[in-house]
Amino acid sequence: MSGKVARGRRRRETLLPYLLLTPALVLLCGMIYPFCLGLYYSFTSYWLQYPKRFRFVWFDNYVSLLDEPLFGRALEFTLGFTVAAVVLQVGLGLAIALFLHGRIPGRGAIRAMMLLPLMMPPVISALMWKIMMASTNAGILNYMLSFVGVDPINWFGSTRGAVASVLIIDTWGNLPFVALILLGGLQALPSEPYEAAKVDGASPFAMLRYITLPLLAPFLILTITFRTMDSLRIFDVIYATTLGGPNDATTNLHIMAYQYAFQWYQMGKGMAQAIVLLILVVMVSYLLIRLWNRSAESNAQ
Amino acid sequence: MRSRRGWLTGLMFGVLCAMGAVTGAQAQEDEALSYFRQAKVDWRQAAGQSLTIGLNKHPFTESLLPLIPEFRKLTGINVEYLILPESEYFTKLAADLSQQRGEFSVIMTGPMRNWQFVSADWISPLDEFLNNPKLTDKAWFKLEDFYPALISANRWNGKIGSGVGEGPLYSIPVLEESYILAYRKDIFDQYNIKVPTTLEEMAEAARQVKKHAGIPGIVARGTPSVASMGTGFGSGLKSYTDGQWSEFDGKLNATLHDPRSVKYTELWIDMVRESGPPNWANMQWYDAMEAFTAGQAGMIVDADFFAAGYEDPKKSKVAGKIGYALIPTGPGGKVYSGLWTWALGINKATKNKEAAWLFVQWATAQRTLMNATLGYRNYNPSRMSVTNDPRVQEIMGAWGAGSYLKTVARNLETARVFWVPEPERTRMGDIWARALHEVYFKRMTAAEALKKASVEIDKVIKEAGLKD
Amino acid sequence: MTGRRPAGGESARKIAVLVGAAILLLWTVFPFFWILLTSLKSPGDMLSVPPKFVFSPTFDNYAALVMGEQRGDYASTRPDFPRFFLNSIIISFGAVALSVAAGIPAAYALARFNFPGKDALAFVFMSFRFVPFIAFVIPLYLLYQKIGLYNTHGGLILAYQLITLPFTIWMLRSFFQEIPSEIQEAAKIDGCSWLGVLTRIILPLSMPGIAVTVILGFIFCWNAFNYPLMLAGRQTFPVTVGAIQFISYEQVLWGQMAAATIVAALPQLILSLMVQKYIVRGLTMGAVK
Repeated sequence: MSGKVARGRRRRETLLPYLLLTPALVLLCGMIYPFCLGLYYSFTSYWLQYPKRFRFVWFDNYVSLLDEPLFGRALEFTLGFTVAAVVLQVGLGLAIALFLHGRIPGRGAIRAMMLLPLMMPPVISALMWKIMMASTNAGILNYMLSFVGVDPINWFGSTRGAVASVLIIDTWGNLPFVALILLGGLQALPSEPYEAAKVDGASPFAMLRYITLPLLAPFLILTITFRTMDSLRIFDVIYATTLGGPNDATTNLHIMAYQYAFQWYQMGKGMAQAIVLLILVVMVSYLLIRLWNRSAESNAQ
Repeated sequence: MRSRRGWLTGLMFGVLCAMGAVTGAQAQEDEALSYFRQAKVDWRQAAGQSLTIGLNKHPFTESLLPLIPEFRKLTGINVEYLILPESEYFTKLAADLSQQRGEFSVIMTGPMRNWQFVSADWISPLDEFLNNPKLTDKAWFKLEDFYPALISANRWNGKIGSGVGEGPLYSIPVLEESYILAYRKDIFDQYNIKVPTTLEEMAEAARQVKKHAGIPGIVARGTPSVASMGTGFGSGLKSYTDGQWSEFDGKLNATLHDPRSVKYTELWIDMVRESGPPNWANMQWYDAMEAFTAGQAGMIVDADFFAAGYEDPKKSKVAGKIGYALIPTGPGGKVYSGLWTWALGINKATKNKEAAWLFVQWATAQRTLMNATLGYRNYNPSRMSVTNDPRVQEIMGAWGAGSYLKTVARNLETARVFWVPEPERTRMGDIWARALHEVYFKRMTAAEALKKASVEIDKVIKEAGLKD
Repeated sequence: MTGRRPAGGESARKIAVLVGAAILLLWTVFPFFWILLTSLKSPGDMLSVPPKFVFSPTFDNYAALVMGEQRGDYASTRPDFPRFFLNSIIISFGAVALSVAAGIPAAYALARFNFPGKDALAFVFMSFRFVPFIAFVIPLYLLYQKIGLYNTHGGLILAYQLITLPFTIWMLRSFFQEIPSEIQEAAKIDGCSWLGVLTRIILPLSMPGIAVTVILGFIFCWNAFNYPLMLAGRQTFPVTVGAIQFISYEQVLWGQMAAATIVAALPQLILSLMVQKYIVRGLTMGAVK
């Protein structure tokens, strides 16, 4: 009798977590189902205005990307932008974190202020900067730059200006993220190595290079991971400012897939491009997460 | 005591005034209702039904919204609407039409858009409604009051590559636009600049304006989208080739790389790069329009009716300083402008087709369109009776010291929808516009970029099954 | 060490620090300040070259935003901003409520039980944080059109689960894991069922964590732009989509766009100051505490 109860109880114990997970799993299925549907569409010639031509085309949509001139450019910009954004944001973020780690008056206030851009809807911050970068009317940014001797910058009308403006807007919103995480990391560092280094007469730069950075590595890799993933799929800022132009200079894979699907209604092709972007994100995230684990392990040792 | 009486008088006066205002509005509404009730149509035959109207942001849309309660009163039909900027509007529209669920009953469309919708069998021919005496009082509605060219622009027999002006009518035009040159007469006079009649002269004039007045010589739309191709640029190209060139040959092969087109593109891009605004590549029509009305450009080649904005002294710094002329022409000296009409059509999948047609008939009735023009600057009128109304004549006649009306009248002699009818017109324009960017940013020569665009368009046409 | 430095070096350092702090503040705060000024300008002041810092402020842009009417020179595009604001609130609340309801038991299971497939499942939830939205929005868009969820609050609340559910589960899990398991074991010995442990111990002890999760989830929903851009219609647009519509036929209405920007950003700026200690934790899904 009692053995039976215990077994029943054990079975309930093993089933319980799944039971608890059920509502979330149902919602998860609600997310995975449309994705599977989309995956299926990526193998079809689904084109809204030609419903009669709907066919299963295997890998045609993927293969045709290879001789699609825009694809090469979009891939190039996706990767180039990601590298530039991550280097810029992590570099500046580290500098800000080190700066705020020093004895700064009003550090709490600065820290609180920095949360504001971070929590702004990206599309709204893009609009704010768009107003400031206006070149036809009274763009305040060019006006202010004129005081430091910079000629008016053609923000959205030139390819370089457009790339720069997207980079600036994205950096404004996400620099605080990097800075705050790294600041948290700095404040959690042990003080012994520094005291030992001071006794040895190490220069501040040497301390940074040989103590701070290695100890900070897990935090650095974490921020790099998050920033890389978000930069690979940036959409809102580009949509609200340049829409991929001019001369496709700011078209990334995300914008390209959007255009195919919602401007030209080629749902099959758009979906195939979305899947390619997804695969890219998954591959990069796999690499970065492995890197993160390794650095966490070596730090633990 | 006195003060109280004063207070009372004031109150009564106020009440009277309010009543006066109410009766005034009432009178206007009664007048409108009696106007529509002259039509021998049972306006209430679809009472209780609901419509959703899809609208693009436009002065016509603005004119329609305050009148919707009037329509509700007349017909007992409930009206909901969605208004979006042009690109988002067409995205939502195609999405809805393609699902055949009939969310939008009445849509704002136009000839080139119809080609896409008709090929996919998404919109209704309107002739069946027009010819149904239960639904339309033809003598009252007067289809013949619309400019014939505009009505035929909205007809198509569905044959890819030909047949515009034949076959069923798919939408009723609410305005007309053709493309002309507007220039700063004050600057041209002051520096003795010649009003251009060829593209080379236009480039020279732009150069002169920039040199003397220190502002861009010309503004034009430049975003990499179909919206940049159809107006000034396209009409200029058609005129430059004496009406000979078109974007496809007889077998639906793209001919953007035709030598004449290449030459024209080179001249145009050189002009824009040399004398245009620095942000040309990011300019929508409203940016171009805003720059010109702010006095920041010497010339603009775009829709004729933008004049309504240029000449509005409340918004424009250049009102009264503008001259109008035909687009520069080719060796033949004749202009071939494009033509566009915003127009109302009906979704084939809508369940309330009769109600939808009653709405279209009401929204394109003479009284409604007259109100749109006089009250909301909806130019140019699609009905002759509106154009010829003395009040409208007075307003339009004053623009450019009379040169506006004369120019438009001459333009309309030859203006037509000259694009080859096929459902991928929008895509073709997007690809074409991107080619211009390749040239502008010097990544390719005009010949290379246009050849590449032609190849790409051929691919799309083939993929869509429009050609074997 | 610093004590032995000459006084000049110390004050130079102070100046450098002040300059650095000033640049940082300017870079962070100036855009807000400028947009606030822009939203208070009349159309004439807006276009003046050079830009004006001093002018007589007007609230007409805000009035046009609320009324959606033509007011003198202030052309309006009738974007129904009050309705968009309400939509944002409805959708964000709905999405967070659903996520928390499904997320609490799930997070509890992932935090306190060992079962096969646990890590894989947690990782699957996490991975949704990084998917490109377009891969979901294309099929969702076609699907919603078919089954009538397009342009409904319910449809958007479901789509927003892609944003809030993974976040909620990971955040709550990290909060639940902070509660020492000894307390839970003690409760079990006292005869508490799992439900008792959850409702009497875990939930009360992690109330602050749940509050933080709710507020941050709300902010993330409020910030969402691309899902509603494609899946919502006029009746359901949130403020983020509403704010990009201040383009009339003839011009961009910069003043109203600026006013809309301020109004759209205000609620979550206030909320984010309330939970500022936890923001980094939220943005990393609990990875950094």
